[in-house]
This record gives sequence, C-alpha cells and structure tokens, in this order.
Amino acid sequence: MHADLKAAMVAKLLAMADDELVLGHRDSEWCGHAPILEEDIAFANIALDEIGHAILWYNLYTDLVGENRETFPDKLVYERPASAYRSARIVELPKGDWAFSMTRQYLFDAYEMAMLDGLVASQYPPLAEAAAKIRKEEIYHLRHTRAWVRRLGLGTDESHQRMQAALDTLWPAALQLFEPADSEAGLIAAGYVPDPAGVRRAWEGQVREWLTGSGLALPPLSDTPYNSRDQHTEHLAALLDDLQQVTRQYPGLTW
Amino acid sequence: MYGATVDSIADSMDDAGKLAEFEARIARGEKIEPGDWMPEEYRRQLIRMISQHAHSEIVGMLPEGTYIPHAPSLRRKLILLAKVQDEGGHGQYLYHAAETLGATREEMIDALLAGKAKYSNVFNYPALSWADIGIIGWLVDGAAILNQTMLAKCSYGPYSRAMIRICAEESFHMRQGQDIIITLATGAPEQKAMAQDALNRWWWPTLMMFGPPDTDSPNSAALIRWRIKTKTNDELRQAFVNQMVPELQALGLTIPDPHLRYDEESGNWISGPIDWDEFWRVINGDGPMNRKRLGARRKAHEDGRWVREALIAYAEKHVADG
Amino acid sequence: MTDTQWPRWVVLHQETEGDPHRYAGSVHAPDAEIALQNARDVFVRRPRCVSLWVVQADRILARTAEEFALTPPLPLPQREEGKKESYYVFQKVGQKGVHQHVGEVEAASAEEAMQWAWDSFNHKNALVWWVFPIGEVAKSGPEDVEVYRIAETKRFRDQGEYHTVATLRKLRERKERNNAR
Repeated sequence: MHADLKAAMVAKLLAMADDELVLGHRDSEWCGHAPILEEDIAFANIALDEIGHAILWYNLYTDLVGENRETFPDKLVYERPASAYRSARIVELPKGDWAFSMTRQYLFDAYEMAMLDGLVASQYPPLAEAAAKIRKEEIYHLRHTRAWVRRLGLGTDESHQRMQAALDTLWPAALQLFEPADSEAGLIAAGYVPDPAGVRRAWEGQVREWLTGSGLALPPLSDTPYNSRDQHTEHLAALLDDLQQVTRQYPGLTW
Repeated sequence: MYGATVDSIADSMDDAGKLAEFEARIARGEKIEPGDWMPEEYRRQLIRMISQHAHSEIVGMLPEGTYIPHAPSLRRKLILLAKVQDEGGHGQYLYHAAETLGATREEMIDALLAGKAKYSNVFNYPALSWADIGIIGWLVDGAAILNQTMLAKCSYGPYSRAMIRICAEESFHMRQGQDIIITLATGAPEQKAMAQDALNRWWWPTLMMFGPPDTDSPNSAALIRWRIKTKTNDELRQAFVNQMVPELQALGLTIPDPHLRYDEESGNWISGPIDWDEFWRVINGDGPMNRKRLGARRKAHEDGRWVREALIAYAEKHVADG
Repeated sequence: MTDTQWPRWVVLHQETEGDPHRYAGSVHAPDAEIALQNARDVFVRRPRCVSLWVVQADRILARTAEEFALTPPLPLPQREEGKKESYYVFQKVGQKGVHQHVGEVEAASAEEAMQWAWDSFNHKNALVWWVFPIGEVAKSGPEDVEVYRIAETKRFRDQGEYHTVATLRKLRERKERNNAR
C-alpha cells in the first residue's frame, strides 16, 4: 500500500476503533444499574460486542503499523492521553439517563450499519472481512435499539419528553460521525472506504423515518458544530482516568 | 402458567397422608414439579433460599461491575463484562425458579430493596483493587460452584434445572479469576502484593459464605430431609478449604489464618476459628457496603420506573393481542 | 400500575434442526418482540440454538402426573362443531427430563386440549403436561439463526480457554519438589 494511503487507512482504523471502545465503555457503565434485569443483560451484551469490534479494528491498525497483536492494542488503549484519541464526541458523552443512552446507541448503530454496508465491499480485504463479522452483530444491536427507541418515544409523556431531550442533544453530535478526515479522499478513491456523504444519506433516510414514526421531532440542524476528531469534550479525559486507573498506577506490567 | 390449585387436591387426602407420600417421593429421588403437592414449609423454605440466591447474583454484579471501567487490558474487560452479564442471567434463572412457586419478581425485588430479604454476605465487602476481582472470581465463584453442584441434585425440579444451567456457565468464572491471580502472583512484586492483600481481605468472608456452623443452622435439618440441600455447611466449607489451600500456596500466597494446619489423618486442612460475630453484624446490615449495595439497586429500580411503565403503556396502546 | 416487572414469558429453545423445542426458563417482557430479544440475551449466550419460541406464562395450562392421579381427566368430549384452535403439547418425561415439544392437538378450550393431550401423549414416564394455543406463541425466524451463532465466537466464555489447571499443577509439583529438598 502506498505510504499516504497507508497513513490514511491507519488514521481511519484508529478513529473507528476508538469510537467502539469508548462507546463500549459507556455501555458497560450501566452494568447493575439498568431499569430491569433483562436490560442489564442485554446492554452488557451490546457493550461486550462493541469492545470486541474495537479489538478487531485495533488489530487491523496493529497489523498495518507492523506491531504485535498481543501487546499493541492494549498500549493504544491504556497509554494514550485524551489528545491522542480519535473518537467522535457522541460516544464520549456521559451515559445520562436510559433515554439518552438508548438514543445514542441507536444513532450510532444506524451509522455503523450504513458504514458497514459500504465497508463489506471494501477493496482492502482485511477491512471487508472484519466488516462482515461486525455486521452480523450490529444487525442485532440495531434491532434492539430501534425497538426501544420506538417504545420509549411513543410510551408515556415522560418517556417521550426524555427521548426528545436526548435527541435534541445527540443529533448535532451524531452528524460529526459523517465528517470525513482530511486524508480520507484517497481512501474513498481507492475504494477502501465508502463516501461519507453516501453513508450519511443512507443513515438519515433510515433514522428520520424511524424517529418520526417514534413520535420524535428532528432538530432542524443539518451541520455539525464539531469537526475535528482531534478535539474532545472534557468527558473523555475523565473516562480515560477511569479506564487507565490501574495501568497508570502500575505502568508497564502484564495483567 | 396455571394448573389445579392445591386446595382442589387437598380434599382427597388428609395432611399427614399427603406429607408421607411427598416424603416418600423425595426419598425415591423424584423431582417435585410446579403443580405437585408440597408442604407449605417446603414451598416457604425454597422461596426463601432461591430468592436469596437470586438476590446474591444481582447484588454480586456490583463489585465487579464497578471494576469493568478499570479493567487493565482489553481482554480482561471483555471477560469481566461477560462474567457480569452471566451473573445477571443467573439471577434471572433463579427468580424464574422462585416464580414457579408463586412468588412474583416484583415482591421479591421489593423485599430486597426494603432490606427485608437477605443475600450472600460476601457481597457486602468492597472491591478495593484489581486483584480483588481475581480473588472474587477464584474464591467466591469457587465456593458458589461447590454449593451449586450440590444444589443441582435438589428435589425441586425448576431449582435443580437452574443449578445445572448455572454450573455449566460458572466454571469459566472461576477459571478467569484464577488466571488473573496467577498473572499477578507470578508478576511484579507490587502485583503479587496486591494479590496477597486481596486474599487477606476475602478469605474469611468467603469461608462464611457457606453459612453458620452446622450446630447453629436452624433451617438445615428440614432442608436436608427434603433434599433441598444434600450436604451441610461445614462439609462444603471443608471441601472448599481443601481445594483452595494447596493451589493458593503453590502461587506463593499465604492464607491469612495463623491457625491453619494440615491434619495427616483426615487429609483435611483445619481452619482456625471463624469470627461469627462479624458474620452476624454484616448480615444484619452493618457491613462496609450494605447500604451502598442496596442503595445502588434501589436507585436503579427507582430511576428505571418510568422506563418499565413506558413499555407497558406502549404494549397496551400498540401491540395487537393474540 | 402494580407490577412493573412486566409479564412473564416462558422460553422454549431448539438446539439444532430436528430437535424438539425444550423448556429453558422464562423472561419478563412487555410484548412478544422484546420477549424474543430478551430470550436471546438470557438463553443464547452459549451455543447452540437455531430457534426460540416465547409464550406468556399465564397462557400455559399445566398438569402433573400426580394431579391426574388425584383428579383423573374427564372422558374425551365428542368431536363437536365449534371453533377449534391448535394447541402445542409439551411433556416432561422421566425425573431428569426437561419439558419438550411432543405434538399438537385441536380443541375448543385449554381444558379440552389437556384432555386430548392426556389421551394422545401417554408415555408411561410422563410427569408433566403443558398445553397452550399455537397462536399465542411468538417465534424467532430463519434470519435469527446467524444471530444465535454469534455465541460460538465468544470463546472467552468457555472454561477450556483458561489453562489454569495445568499451570497450577506445574506450580504445585515444583513446590513439592522444592519442599522435598
């Protein structure tokens, strides 16, 4: 692979992996605190899958930079400061209430499905393979979160209000998911990743219809206030304080 | 599900006769299923035991759940998540078994949150380090496996089947705990020290998991006669100590029991005296984490009320019947 | 709103093609779609599964062999005109058995279905009979088979992935050798 293309691919993989990791971490915060036992189990399952996806993307990153899969992904996760993470804002936001987490998960799952539909056709075979694996699990996530979004949107006045408040906060953040990185043009031209504009169209088509059908009003915003994935909310630093707590206290050891 | 009520069958036999036939069924090794006649005491004891067991699984999700964000590697994070998810599932299986006896999940959970129902005391202790997670997996789940393997033979069908399912899933819980501790005990000095410190704090609470000594267990006789339990608290505790001591010592860890000694004749590791005052203090609500554990569950329950109600409202409005 | 733990749904699990569905346990859910999703999360964390059925617990009429012995079933009704529904029949056979799908009967009511079940499925070691209307059952679809297979990829749930038994044995042997010196 040409050096420029490789650098772009590596950046893209890191962003995708960081998204999954941070989201999985947020999902796992519900363990033992969900509204009903069945959702403790279900949301833990979603968290588990997301972290598994993160590992798949970190592994591809590791292969491209010529490092060891046994040790390098952990280095990436446990030794980088917030400024070196490339996750989007939406996954960093604190878990909020159940409406917030469910809406966030839905918007992200729908984005991921639209991305994966493109990635399974990637001209870079490892990416296409990983995407096919992940897609099987995402089908299930999307089914789960769609069913919940609809029920909470249409359930009671209280659930509706909470869902609307969640959507109002999350929609601008969700739009950042479709912002291409500076280096992405080469990847798109090479057929390695789908064009984010197309992904966004597919995503919006689906979520607008579903959210409206769930009784929710879509904010008029069509652009995200967040551009670069180099910049993060203050929540990411706090999240990494948690995530890296043990490894910061005892650096360089095997666990 | 619904079936003939106990009352409608009651007419045909007298109480002593029914009890004799019930105990004969138990003695023959038969399984009692929902709908079969059972003495009220059998039903009551089972609901108490099974719901306590279910509550323990649910509360047990908390010490480990709080450590998922701090798990120090991706693999450990995945494994711990899977374990905590299993515990939720096990609570699920157990509440179901109690529900077949006529208890409702709402009642059982209300009793837990009101502080009226008990759960395993061991979860009233805090998880203070990563090593605690390994020790909890190895010791606490190791103890649970011994208990559950015994309960898999119990006379009540739904509880026995729940135990079989749980035993199959629990073995990885213990193994991942061992794996964590082996890594720590054979790692850097500060990691080994972490493991030793965790063992110091969890050894005695785990021994107490098996319940008071046989001489102090008022429920035991009935539970054994009706084959709800087939081994006594002390028997299980001894099996646990015999299993754990050599393996922990092989890792260079010290059991925090200055009186521990090996008895050549019986082949048993004999423990020093257990502080039962502490056990009763903690189980009656005065442990380091009792308020926090129940507080967390109460908050989840209350915060989640609007969610549960919303889904019922949706089902009533939007889901066609039949 | 008295009980917000949601209604209880019994979960029936089919391990492989050709197997009967068997009783796995139950989940709480507000409706059938959520019940099927919950059933997968609770009961398909490990292989193997190709199909899940869920039915509300209060739709199942249950009888045990002991109940039949005390209150024998009424004689079979005449095959009358009238609206018949199809009912699944599940049965537990043998002390260590698990309730499993044995067949179907047609009846105008659950009580009548139970009478037909008692007559048609009278294995000598049958201990429990269940009947419930087929129309009340929500089922997973063929597209779910792939979803259920995901459990096979989560190898970390398999105790065989952790080689602690061998490691501890080696350490114990080494310790015993050292002690012997």
